[in-house]
Amino acid sequence: MVSSMWRISGAVNRALARAGYPLLLSLRRGQASVSYAQSLLGAPETQLTTLSNGFRIASEETNQATCTVGLCIDCGSRYESEKNNGAGFFLEHMAFKGTKKHPQSALEHAVESMGAHLSAYTSRERTAYYMKTLAKDLPKAVELLAEVVQSSSLSEADIEQQRSVVLRELEEVQGSLQDVCLDLLHATAFQGTPLGHSVLGPSANARILTRNDLVEYINSHYKAPRMVLATAGGVNHDELVALAKQHFSGVSFEYEGDAVPVLSPCRFTGSEIRMRDDAMPLAHIAIAVEGAGAASPDIVPLMVANSIIGCYDITFGGGKHLSSRLARLAAELNLCHSFQAFHSSYSDTGLLGIYFVTDKHKIEDMMHWAQNAWMNLCTTVTESDVARAKNALKASLVGQLNGTTPVCDDIGRHLLNYGRRIPLAEWDARIEAVTPRIVRDVCSKYIYDKCPAVSAVGPIEQLPDYNRMRSAMYWLRF
Amino acid sequence: MMSLATRSGAFSPYLQATNSAVAGPLKPLIPGVIMKTDKLSSVLDTKKPFLCREYLYGQSAKSGHAVSVSLSARSSVRFVHTDIKIPDFSDYRRPEVLDPKKSSQDSGNTRWAFSYLITGSTAVVGVNAAKTVVTQFVSSMNIPEGKNMTFKWRGKPLFVQHRTEKEIASEADVNLAELRDPQHDRDRVQNPTWIIVIGVCTHLGCVPIANAGDYGGYYCPCHGSHYDASGRIRKGPAPLNLEVPYYEFPDNDMVIVG
Repeated sequence: MVSSMWRISGAVNRALARAGYPLLLSLRRGQASVSYAQSLLGAPETQLTTLSNGFRIASEETNQATCTVGLCIDCGSRYESEKNNGAGFFLEHMAFKGTKKHPQSALEHAVESMGAHLSAYTSRERTAYYMKTLAKDLPKAVELLAEVVQSSSLSEADIEQQRSVVLRELEEVQGSLQDVCLDLLHATAFQGTPLGHSVLGPSANARILTRNDLVEYINSHYKAPRMVLATAGGVNHDELVALAKQHFSGVSFEYEGDAVPVLSPCRFTGSEIRMRDDAMPLAHIAIAVEGAGAASPDIVPLMVANSIIGCYDITFGGGKHLSSRLARLAAELNLCHSFQAFHSSYSDTGLLGIYFVTDKHKIEDMMHWAQNAWMNLCTTVTESDVARAKNALKASLVGQLNGTTPVCDDIGRHLLNYGRRIPLAEWDARIEAVTPRIVRDVCSKYIYDKCPAVSAVGPIEQLPDYNRMRSAMYWLRF
Repeated sequence: MMSLATRSGAFSPYLQATNSAVAGPLKPLIPGVIMKTDKLSSVLDTKKPFLCREYLYGQSAKSGHAVSVSLSARSSVRFVHTDIKIPDFSDYRRPEVLDPKKSSQDSGNTRWAFSYLITGSTAVVGVNAAKTVVTQFVSSMNIPEGKNMTFKWRGKPLFVQHRTEKEIASEADVNLAELRDPQHDRDRVQNPTWIIVIGVCTHLGCVPIANAGDYGGYYCPCHGSHYDASGRIRKGPAPLNLEVPYYEFPDNDMVIVG
């Protein structure tokens, strides 16, 4: 009944909008804004269809002139081995160098004449190719995406040329110390496992990957059951399904030799990696424990816990009136330039941590207070902390979905992680169910007296010895 | 984006570098390095003026940036952070976490319990050992022969003397008729090697001095009372022998007084 209510409200809204009365869209006439409760229910239901080869199509239809069409594939650096680590990243570079039907210039012309944006990203467990375009250009968009994924030309000349581009990009990434620090964190925390691989891959691989490696990568991983065509915007689901049938029915669903790649669990190792360079102005440090996988029920309490710690930047004006205790301390004691609590969750594991950037004389203090914040979560978190964090989390979840691209990404991610799109109302209910006792129990399970993984880049002489950081993961007073 | 080939024009002599040894900031590179390509050209001509910072670019993108040598910054052979290989620590891992394909959460509790068990046991054993060592040093009955030790016991001085064979023999031979307060030595001691008496003179309560006096025992300096090695009064104004408190020997190395 609730879902039918959603569809009805969606239909009413669309009718009102088409009739030219946008203000009547809100149920409280005279007010242009939408209340939180309405925003939970206002989003139309995500419609999902599966083709015979396992290919999934999902769309959220909202009354807009634009749309984002994304092809999310369940493959990433976690599926790579030592030998072909970096193949996915290289392939992403090759994606827009032309297909069999559209050589590079023709592809670029086709995209740009529509006024569309075509781009891609690769992460450890997901690869996505997406196009932001006008809703009326949907057929062309789906056709181009299908070609890019299925019949990319991968010419030898382009591959050689892209090699130097990839190497240059690898060199440039060294300047983004946040990426370096977090990559090293994964490398040490998941050492010896595929999750330790960086998405970029080592420079040696960038030099020796061949066309065969890329083709083999496509053949092993670009399979229909692992693909989702997600769309958000002014797109009709049936039209989309028809287009997908036309272009994606040919995607294979069988593996050579029946070798279905199965993800084995990845071992977490409490460890540290220190890349000391006293010539750098600031130290970038990340400390993390093993977190929860995406499908775990502990995900929501951990998200609330991270909201309690929050994030901070030296440009925040709140000073000692900021809501997060760690942020107040950072502002008053000048502990750091910025910090953020993060939780990177993969399918069966994750990294729950705090990343901060600080001056070389404040590292010890900042680490002490950061771990103190963790201990506070495990022992003495209060009703008001949790209430504030729940509200902040709900607001950010709703606020993030402010455009067709975030919504499209959300749809793709949910379908690959959970098999269905989790509606906002469900997230709201799960967040509402979190109590201080649950936060304390869940945080104790993941944080208290556990071995952390630490990665540090820059002038890190003051970073305490690992044994001292390990000792700060429990309190004797408790 | 300019390609590497066009940017490396000024450094064409160095274009064939693939692997190179790294020199310190002020030491020139020795030509004659390991080359992977067919064309051999010297990597760095030491006769040419040494610039502040030089990058050795490869001509084909395949070789790329291998080494940076400079006077002002560090020399490194690593290209990017993804080239860092975390070493294999299998030799040091516990057996439950050797397999990288198994989640470490499964064995987490057992490993935690084992660590704390070892820590706890070591702490208990260590405390016991420390206690033994300390007690051995502090309360040792190491009184040499012939010497007297004074202890404060219930507010009064307690004399514990380790008697020599000569003293034991001579005290046993004393004629009881000579004594003001006749008592045989064997009635005053349980173990003849040790004499334990309260060191308060029976005359007016001063503390006698050990190993002093005419009879090889104690001498009270206040009024000149002489006691012998058994604590019996021999000469002087004191009327009674030094008091012998109740004591017992639970074993040969320990005496409990009182």
